[in-house]
Amino acid sequence: MKALLLSLLLLPFAAFAQAPVIQISGANFRPLPLAYPAPLTVDDGGKKATADFDDPFLFDLRASGLFQVLDRASFTADAKEGITAGSINFARWSDVGAESLVKVQLGAEGGTLRGELRLFNVGSGREDFKASHAVPTSEPRQLAHFLADALYRHLTREPSPFLSHIVFVRKARDNRDVWTADWDGNNARALTSGGINLLPALGPDGAVAYTSYRKGQPDLYLQKPGSEAQPIVQNGQMATGVAFSPDGKRIAYAQAQGESTQIYVANTDGSDPKRITDTPYGINSSPSWSPDGKRLAFVSNRGGSPQIYVMNVDGTNARRLTFQGNYNQTPDWSPRGDLIAFTARDERNAFDLFSVNVDTGKITRLTQDQSNNEEPVFSPNGRLILFSSTRTGTAQLFVMTAEGNNPLPLPMGKGGGLTPDWAP
Amino acid sequence: MGMGGGNKGQGRVTMSEINVTPMVDVMLVLLIIFMVTAPLIQQGVKVNLPEAKAAPVEAAEKKLVLSIDAGNRVFIGDAEVLLDELEKKLAANAKAQSEKEIYLHADRDVPYGVVVEVMAAAQRAGITNVGMITDPASKGTRTDPAPGSTGSKGGKKEAKR
Repeated sequence: MKALLLSLLLLPFAAFAQAPVIQISGANFRPLPLAYPAPLTVDDGGKKATADFDDPFLFDLRASGLFQVLDRASFTADAKEGITAGSINFARWSDVGAESLVKVQLGAEGGTLRGELRLFNVGSGREDFKASHAVPTSEPRQLAHFLADALYRHLTREPSPFLSHIVFVRKARDNRDVWTADWDGNNARALTSGGINLLPALGPDGAVAYTSYRKGQPDLYLQKPGSEAQPIVQNGQMATGVAFSPDGKRIAYAQAQGESTQIYVANTDGSDPKRITDTPYGINSSPSWSPDGKRLAFVSNRGGSPQIYVMNVDGTNARRLTFQGNYNQTPDWSPRGDLIAFTARDERNAFDLFSVNVDTGKITRLTQDQSNNEEPVFSPNGRLILFSSTRTGTAQLFVMTAEGNNPLPLPMGKGGGLTPDWAP
Repeated sequence: MGMGGGNKGQGRVTMSEINVTPMVDVMLVLLIIFMVTAPLIQQGVKVNLPEAKAAPVEAAEKKLVLSIDAGNRVFIGDAEVLLDELEKKLAANAKAQSEKEIYLHADRDVPYGVVVEVMAAAQRAGITNVGMITDPASKGTRTDPAPGSTGSKGGKKEAKR
């Protein structure tokens, strides 16, 4: 279990005065044992915000895959312990197994909620990092995500997924609606109301594209923040599986064409569509862009069964990537470039998640024996995978590390989610 | 996992497995106990250690230390905990749970019953190894071990023998 595919290294960054950097790759990664006691509060406003701050902050820490978040039930520290190194009895934190200690202090004045975070190295008893941020008192969750992001950036030198957004489909009786939400599934808002709306994609600027039957036929729509949905592909042929290019300027999608389904690339408003696959029969679908925007991963059954392929954006150089299994679909290209995650139906007819290395073709299994798991999508920093799973009975959104470790359900309440997409 | 458990409401199925529960119970009774010499242990709680001539184990690294002082108060490190909460605290403690080992640092005047209660709580919390911290039989001279006073090994101020 400890063989997580990441590694914890102490790199001597001159500019950062020996602050530890968590190197999230390599075979010897071990989650950092981290103690995070309940936030300190300086006034009643801070007290009131505590619960709404604490839950998302803890979820961010737990879901990041970086930390072994220690059980508060074990803590022995004095309840009056403060937020400065001088007031902290580090031996007591070391006694509960902590290597790092995060303390947060909340206070509210006027309409502003202020949070201060400090990170301590328990071994040396030193303060390694501090950050503070202020939000309107109505937004304690945003404060939690912001401070968790600051901590993640300090420890990894990478942006966290905590400030990103997701889009997904939620069932409601006979309808399928498109919803957007914060990365942890909270703050969810329905973009559509009624009808059948499918396979949404989230662009880097917050635009959402999806397939909708609102006019009786499956057309593609684009909905920019704060404006109405506009039809962008509307020609009576089924258009699905839209995906934004990393720069947000183009879309790729699949469109039925007589006996076959072909992949098209167009401008985001649907103009200038170009067909880039050309098989006489069969299906080419589910395009996913490479991070440099030069290639697409897609599904094709040109070899007999649905398999993952990659090709250039102009349709040249199509190459089959998966040779195991006979039903591989829904590829998602990691923003780090090296991996493509996909859904496969295995020998027991269960759907499970796998990843394939784009260069070597090496396949890694990410889920197993947990009912059906489908539709993987990488976080914008490539470290986590969001997917839908029926392991709890109904389809719920789960997040896990890109190596398949530490799966957690999104704390988003009722309704569940399907076919997620994720963007900064 | 069990082959017998999965068939809901389809009649009884013969159990074809060995029932391991009694065996597990036997295993849990086994608590590995060893002696640890005092000079290697820095501790904030003031106790008079018992002396023992048993061959001591040298403490290699810092283990979690449970102390019981002369007033029968129990400490994790230097933080006092109620005996009722000890099991819960230890069960949640990542250090104790990963090492499965604690050191017991009890005053020589603590009743045997209290020591046993503490050891039982540790055992219920899943800890299998208990090191008994003792004074290394230095001819009865040490009545006050001056907490936290000794450091590196070799025990230069021990001047024993």
